[in-house]
Amino acid sequence: MNRTALLKTYLPTLQKYQGLVGLLLLMAVALVKSPHTDLPGALFHSTFYSTGNLRNVLSQLAVPGCLAIGATFVILVGGIDLSAGSSLGLLNCICATWLVHGASTPITIAYVLLVGTVIGAILGATIGFTRLQPFVVTLAGMVSLRGIAFVYTNNANISGLKDQIAFLESPWLGIPIDGWVLLVATAVAAILLSKTVFGRRVYAVGGNIEAARYSGVPVNRVRIGAFAINGFCIGLAAILFTARNSNGQPSAGMGYELDAITAAVVGGTALVGGYGNVIGTFVGALFIVCLNVLLILDGVSYYVGQGWKGIIILLAVYLQNLGRRV
Amino acid sequence: MRLGLWACAAFAAVALLGCGSGDSGAASGTADKGGSKPSGDLPLVVFSQANSADPWRQQFDAETKAAADKDKATFRFEEQAAEDDPNKQISQIDTLMLESPKVLLVSPAEVSVETAIAKAYDKGVGVVLLDRGITSDKYSVHIGGDNVDIGKQAAEYIVKRLNGKGTVLMIQGKGGADATNDRRNGAMDVFKKNPGITVIQGDDCKYQRQAAQSYMETFLQSGKPFDAVYAHNDEMAIGAYQAYDHAATKPKNKPLFVGVDGCQQEVIQMIKDGKLDATFRYPDPGPKGIEVAEQILKGEKPKDKKIILPTELVTKETADKYLADHPGLAK
Repeated sequence: MNRTALLKTYLPTLQKYQGLVGLLLLMAVALVKSPHTDLPGALFHSTFYSTGNLRNVLSQLAVPGCLAIGATFVILVGGIDLSAGSSLGLLNCICATWLVHGASTPITIAYVLLVGTVIGAILGATIGFTRLQPFVVTLAGMVSLRGIAFVYTNNANISGLKDQIAFLESPWLGIPIDGWVLLVATAVAAILLSKTVFGRRVYAVGGNIEAARYSGVPVNRVRIGAFAINGFCIGLAAILFTARNSNGQPSAGMGYELDAITAAVVGGTALVGGYGNVIGTFVGALFIVCLNVLLILDGVSYYVGQGWKGIIILLAVYLQNLGRRV
Repeated sequence: MRLGLWACAAFAAVALLGCGSGDSGAASGTADKGGSKPSGDLPLVVFSQANSADPWRQQFDAETKAAADKDKATFRFEEQAAEDDPNKQISQIDTLMLESPKVLLVSPAEVSVETAIAKAYDKGVGVVLLDRGITSDKYSVHIGGDNVDIGKQAAEYIVKRLNGKGTVLMIQGKGGADATNDRRNGAMDVFKKNPGITVIQGDDCKYQRQAAQSYMETFLQSGKPFDAVYAHNDEMAIGAYQAYDHAATKPKNKPLFVGVDGCQQEVIQMIKDGKLDATFRYPDPGPKGIEVAEQILKGEKPKDKKIILPTELVTKETADKYLADHPGLAK
C-alpha cells in the first residue's frame, strides 16, 4: 500500500477523532507539566489528575459545553450563531430576575428554556424568510439581544438570589449536577442526530442544501429546528451560568459564541456544514477547558494562553480540510 | 506524505505546549520552578486580577509583581487575569485553589466572584481583597483607596486655586460605577459649601480619553465660560485638555485641568509641562497586599479587616519626587 492509499484509508478516521487525539496529547503533556500534589485521590501525584480537578473541569465545562452542543446543530445545517453570548446574557438576567422576584425554581427554569428556544426559532425563521446569511442575521441578533439585556435590567446587575438553584453546583455521585446536565444533553443530542429523521435531515441540509430541497427535505423547518435546539441549549447554559454566578449580568457571556464555535471546530465539525457530531464537540470543549486549566496550573499568563489557543484552532481547521481540497 | 504532516502537526502541538509553559516565567513573572514543581517547597501566593487592560491595572500588576519578586526566597507567586469576566475569574480561582495556595490576593471583577472567594476562605486560605470589595464577610483583609476622600481633596484643591469663585466643568466617569459616584459626591460636598463655585455636570465619558475629547470639543463650541475641569480620571482629563489645546477659540485664561489616578508617566509629564494642573493618586493596593500576604504566611493575624490607603496630590512642584517614588507607573 503506498502513501496516498494509506492517507485515504486513515485520514477520515483521524479527522473524525481529531478532538480526541488532541485531548490525549494534552493529557500526556499534563502528565509532565502539571504541578505535583500529595493530596489523596490524585493519579500520578499530579494536580491535573486529581479528583478535585475532575470536579473543577466538569463545573467549568458545563456552560461552554452546552453552548457548544447548540452551536454544533447550527453549524451542521451550514449556519453560524454569533448571538449565543448575547442571548446567554439576556437569559441569565431573566433567570435571575424571576428568581429574585420569588418565582418558583421549576417555573423559572421552564420559562428560561422556553424563551431561549423561541429566540432561536425566530432567528432560524428570519434566515429562512429573508434569505440573508446566518452570519448577518445572528450578528444583528448579537447586537439587539445585548441591548435588550441592558434595557431589561435597566443597566444594572441583578443580585439578591437565594439558594434556589444552588443545587446545580452540588455534587451527585462525585460529579457536580451541572456536569451531569451537560452529559445528559450531549447524549440526547447525539441520539437526536444519529437515530432520528430530523437528525438525518440536519446533515442533508448542511451537506448540500439544493440536493436536500429537491429530495423533499423541508429545508426551512429543519433550519428553524436546529436554531431552536441551539436556543434551548443556550437557555440551559444560562441557567447553569446563573447557578454558578448567583446573579444576573447584562454583560454576561461576551465572546462566548466564539468559544462555542471553537469547541465545535476543534471537535471535528466542519464550518461548511454537514460534517461532525456532538460527541466530537464535547471532546473539543473538554480539550479547551483542560487546556485553560493546565495553563493556569502551570502559571502561564492568560494572554499567552490565548495566543496558543489561536494556533490550535488554526491547526484543527487545517487538519479538517486536509484531503478535501484536492 | 500527508500522514507525515499529521505526525508533524501533533509533534508541533506538543512542542508548542512545552515551550508555552517554559515561557511562563518571563510572561507572567512567576517565581522559579522546574518542569514539575515540588509541592512542599515554598508556600504559594496566588493573585487573581480582574483585568490587565487599563493603565491603572497595568501599574497595579507591575508594582504587585515587583513587590512579590523582592521576596522570591520566601514564597512563590502566580498571577492570572480574567478580562473583567466574573465567570472566567471564578474558573481561574477554582483552578488556582487546586494548587493549595496559602494566600489568595484577588481584585474581583464583580461582586458575584464572591462565590469562589468564599469557597477559598472556607478552605482556610487567607483572602486579601484588593480595590473592589464583596458583600459577604468571607475574607481576611480588604485593601483599597477612598474615592470619596479623593473627590473631596480634588474639590478643595480647585476651590483654593480659584480663590473660591468660578465655574467647574465636571467630566463624569462610567455611570453607575461606585468610583464615579464617590468621586462625584465627595467633590460635590465641598463645592456646595462654596457659594462662589458653579458646577456644570458634564457627560458620562466612560473614563475614556476619546469620549472626553469629543465631549469637550462640543462643549467648547457652546462658548460657555468655565475656569476649571475636574475629570473623574486622568484619561478624561487628557482628552479634555487635548480638545482645549486644539480648539480655535479658547477662553482667555487657561482653565485648570484636574484628574484622578496618577498612574501614568504620561500624566505626570503633562503636569510637569504645565498642561494639566494636578492629579490625585488612586492608590495601588498591590504592594500592601503582598505585605499583608507575608504577614499571613508568618502566621500573624492582620490587625485591621479594612485598610484604606491614602491619596497623594501631584502638582508641578511634586511631580519629580512622585516619579522617583513610583517607578512602576504605566508608560
